[in-house]
Amino acid sequence: MFDVVLIFVVGMLFLAGILALRPYANKGDKKKTILNWFLYGIWFLITCVGLSFVVLNSRVGHVKATSTGVFLFFGLSIIIGVLLARLLGFIGNKQKQQNLTT
Amino acid sequence: MPKSSKQGNEQQEPKLQMSRRNFLKAGTASFAAMGMMAALKATPVSAAEAAEAATGASAANNGAKSKLHSDGDRYGGASVKIAPYNDQWLGTSKLVGQVQNFNEADMGFMLAMRGKLGPLAKDGAFRIVDNQPSQYFVEKYPVSYAEQHLLMNQLAGEDVVDGTPAARKLPIPDPEQMSQNIKDLAYFLRADEVGIGKMPPYAYYSHKVYDNMAILKDDVEAAVKPVTERMPYVIVVMVDQNLKTMLASTGYDSISASQSMLGYHSTAVISIIIANYIRRLGYHARASHFSNYIAVMDPCIIAAGLGELSRTGDCTVHPHLGIREKCAAVTTDLPLAPDQPIDFGLQDFCRVCKKCADNCPSGAITHDTEQVEYNGYLRWNSDMKKCAVFRTTNDEGSSCGRCMKVCPWSSKEDTWFHTAGTWIGSRGQGSSKLLKSIDDMFGYGDEQIERYKWWLEWPELLKN
Repeated sequence: MFDVVLIFVVGMLFLAGILALRPYANKGDKKKTILNWFLYGIWFLITCVGLSFVVLNSRVGHVKATSTGVFLFFGLSIIIGVLLARLLGFIGNKQKQQNLTT
Repeated sequence: MPKSSKQGNEQQEPKLQMSRRNFLKAGTASFAAMGMMAALKATPVSAAEAAEAATGASAANNGAKSKLHSDGDRYGGASVKIAPYNDQWLGTSKLVGQVQNFNEADMGFMLAMRGKLGPLAKDGAFRIVDNQPSQYFVEKYPVSYAEQHLLMNQLAGEDVVDGTPAARKLPIPDPEQMSQNIKDLAYFLRADEVGIGKMPPYAYYSHKVYDNMAILKDDVEAAVKPVTERMPYVIVVMVDQNLKTMLASTGYDSISASQSMLGYHSTAVISIIIANYIRRLGYHARASHFSNYIAVMDPCIIAAGLGELSRTGDCTVHPHLGIREKCAAVTTDLPLAPDQPIDFGLQDFCRVCKKCADNCPSGAITHDTEQVEYNGYLRWNSDMKKCAVFRTTNDEGSSCGRCMKVCPWSSKEDTWFHTAGTWIGSRGQGSSKLLKSIDDMFGYGDEQIERYKWWLEWPELLKN
């Protein structure tokens, strides 16, 4: 039962992410739009895989697998997340505007 | 929604539409690509595919189906194919000559008892303790003593494992249904796995040891009697040696022999009951288990579709349980529908992995890349004498199962990533290297998880 609820919650979060990012992800350039959605899909997948991997391994007690999983999956997740945020214009724009005004 | 973005969407929408001509082009290209992929997959025909074509069996349809155990869970995530069983192959083991039946007196622990492996090994293999004969390297730890005591004193007798079939043969269903019934009986009796195979005649011992006192004097002729039984079928039952205990153990500490004995006494009881049941139906059946074998278990396991021979040389690996199992067998003439041997890529995997060899505390397991001929078949020729010496003289524990502990096939709980891992590991040498690297990166196999350590330690009992 818990698995079903979890899958439902993850699905809802995925859809919520799509709704939240839609105004920012759809660009005039089709290639950029595809890249944004592709990165969002990859980021969501890696984050979910990482969470699942870390939780299941820590529950059993695999210490090295848990710590390596945290670095590997969450590291990738952060890198892709930052890249996505940059492409969507959540970060980096302010600096750009400042540079333009100066 | 920002206005500019909305306009962008409106501009893009027409571009997503496809003309009829383009739709037909895309469809034709897709079918052409699928056809090419199917053609590539179809040629050349592998040995496994030929075996599947010859037997009409497949991994998903191997032998009689159980009503109590899902076939989907049987092999975990491994990609399993049917392997050939003829005069050249027993599953994935290549037969290159006449396989000679083995004398039980030449097995590792018997050699130790005969004094062929030195005085320390002989003393560890057999010692009089409290006026009782004792297989000391097992019985020095109280848990394994308790298990072994049951096996040797209650379950070993000829009248327990064998007997005369009932005078009246009961009507039985067709072999397929009878096999399903036998498999479900095994699962009902808490077996973790069961398979039915055509009994390889070379799996029988040539001679069986009946007199341990004569073995201690190295008087082999007085100790053994020839094994004359030849039955057409063998039923093999397996029991898991407990994952959590294995995760907490070094593989060669106090609990090691107890884990083996867990598998041995459980499968002994199951095999004895199955043999008794079959005799009650009016057919011959004899149980072979830890304390009374008439057959070598590895060829029986392979014939029954429960594993492949591994790098260790005399242990098979099951696609789901790995080496973490012990088994017993019932040889019978009850009409049955046998399973076929299986191929899940273990030969390729063992060729590149070598984790057991790297971690073997006695250095018994070979690092050779290629298999060598041994008694008419090819295998990795590990040094069983070194293995037996270490297990009988181990001062840090009772016996040893380090190869089981570190093997990537046996060190796992049921999770989606381990299922995916075994699928990767069963896809050839390249992917086997990848799985081994992942296994090492995440530290599986050689870790000890203290939270599962439930057994008590008495180091003073472990010294030989």
